[in-house]
Amino acid sequence: MVVTFQLNGEDCRLDGDPMTPLVDILRQERFLTGTKAVCREGFCGACMVHVDDEAVPSCLKPIGLVQGCAVTTIEGLSSGNQALHPLQANFEAADAVQCGMCFPGMVMSLSAFVRDNPHASRPEIKAAMVGNICRCTGYERIVDAVADCLDQARKAGQLAGGIHV
Amino acid sequence: MAPGVERSFTAASTIEEALAARRQGASVLAGGTWMMRDPRRGVDLPEAVVALHRIPALSKVEVEPDHVVIGAAVTHAALGRALRGSAGFEGLVAAAEGAANPGIRRVATVGGNLCALDFAAADLAPALLVCEATVELQTFEGPRLLGISDFLKDRHALLTEAIVTRIHLRRDLIASAHIRLPLRQAGDYPVAIVSLAVDRNKRCRIAVGSVEPVARRWTALEQAMAAGPASALDPQRVAELALEHNDFQGRDGKEADGWYRRQVLPPLVKRGVAALLSTEGVAWL
Ligand SMILES: Cc1cc2nc3c(=O)[nH]c(=O)nc-3n(C[C@H](O)[C@H](O)[C@H](O)COP(=O)(O)OP(=O)(O)OC[C@H]3O[C@@H](n4cnc5c(N)ncnc54)[C@H](O)[C@@H]3O)c2cc1C
Ligand code: FES
Ligand code: FES
Repeated sequence: MVVTFQLNGEDCRLDGDPMTPLVDILRQERFLTGTKAVCREGFCGACMVHVDDEAVPSCLKPIGLVQGCAVTTIEGLSSGNQALHPLQANFEAADAVQCGMCFPGMVMSLSAFVRDNPHASRPEIKAAMVGNICRCTGYERIVDAVADCLDQARKAGQLAGGIHV
Repeated sequence: MAPGVERSFTAASTIEEALAARRQGASVLAGGTWMMRDPRRGVDLPEAVVALHRIPALSKVEVEPDHVVIGAAVTHAALGRALRGSAGFEGLVAAAEGAANPGIRRVATVGGNLCALDFAAADLAPALLVCEATVELQTFEGPRLLGISDFLKDRHALLTEAIVTRIHLRRDLIASAHIRLPLRQAGDYPVAIVSLAVDRNKRCRIAVGSVEPVARRWTALEQAMAAGPASALDPQRVAELALEHNDFQGRDGKEADGWYRRQVLPPLVKRGVAALLSTEGVAWL
């Protein structure tokens, strides 16, 4: 089956099994290896991407369901050569990343969250991270970095409509 | 799937189209969060699937003064948003917003939660049992309405020839609550679930999920409570009745043994009654 969708702003056309998990296409065919396949069961969050602006696990998303959708991966958020997303910049500044395995997923979940919840409290930030497991950093520093990011954006008056991806 | 065979994938745009594909042997695909894990359970993915996400009628929640209709392809997240703040549906909202994790809730549908056969820990099942929901099916013979209890009991047989299209709820509850016990907060399946509701006649309804293979009403406890005064909505007293009328056979499973699931019910009921009492609807007590 032919599936077409937008991948990081560009047209993408695939011809293959419509039940292939999106994560496998990203990693094996498009070499977008920022998205990690860890548990493949929806529990760890390492494979999170945005589909039509919503953060969802790509391990459980058959490509047949992304026909006509816009998919953004961590590489689409910032290539690394350009300015980082404010949340990435805060993670870097807070030295919140250790092995980094969980981080692309963490950033994809939380970038959508800060966009939609500019006034989020600490418990709300924690609730948003329930599906993102980190085995290294300990979550408090990540929560601190998200809270700082929201704080800075509020002070800079950026958040009238949220932080934009 | 046999080598060289191409999988068939239909994104139906009407219920009729979905049913036609179903008639030809396609399996229903909703959010995919259950089905996509079939290979990990040693089950092959179906050779033909029919997806429901492009059928507008199945993706909306209609909230009317006296009833609510939920499309089967509505996600947990969308259900929570649609009913948040609606008196009487506090429990259903808590179930939709507390199950799994945020990423799964954005994808997993109401229909998928009720139709995942052999999934005992579905949060929406006990929450809809206390709403006394009616399940609407499209079968090969036409539409059919069924009480949620009967649907859950018979779904293995029913779903061989049907698609769940909508869930109908009366707005006859004044308060409800949903208490779940996962071993950790990080998206684990709940070990036991207790849903409670009080209707306009001040009758208490209680349902239990994840303890037995299929969620069911706790009729023995409901009857014991009905036999007492209205002030029986006292957390400690109800927990004592729950202990006395605990007629559940706990199932052994990966997260917990059966005896444990059964044993945690009275304290969960106690928490549930306390949650009910904190809602505006039961301020009369
Ligand atoms: C990490 C994780 C944690 C989870 N934790 C919880 C939890 O805490 N509580 C909880 O309740 N659930 C939990 N779940 C289970 C989750 O709720 C189910 O996977 C989900 O509800 C299934 O819905 P879906 O739309 O993805 O269904 P699908 O995977 O698309 O379908 C599931 C099954 O239902 C059938 N089906 C779907 N819709 C229909 C329909 N309309 N008519 C007929 N048949 C249909 C399909 O054919 C398939 O057999 C968890 C899942 C994951 C991955
Ligand atoms: S790999 Fe998708 S959630 Fe873990
Ligand atoms: S930094 Fe290593 S798992 Fe999170």
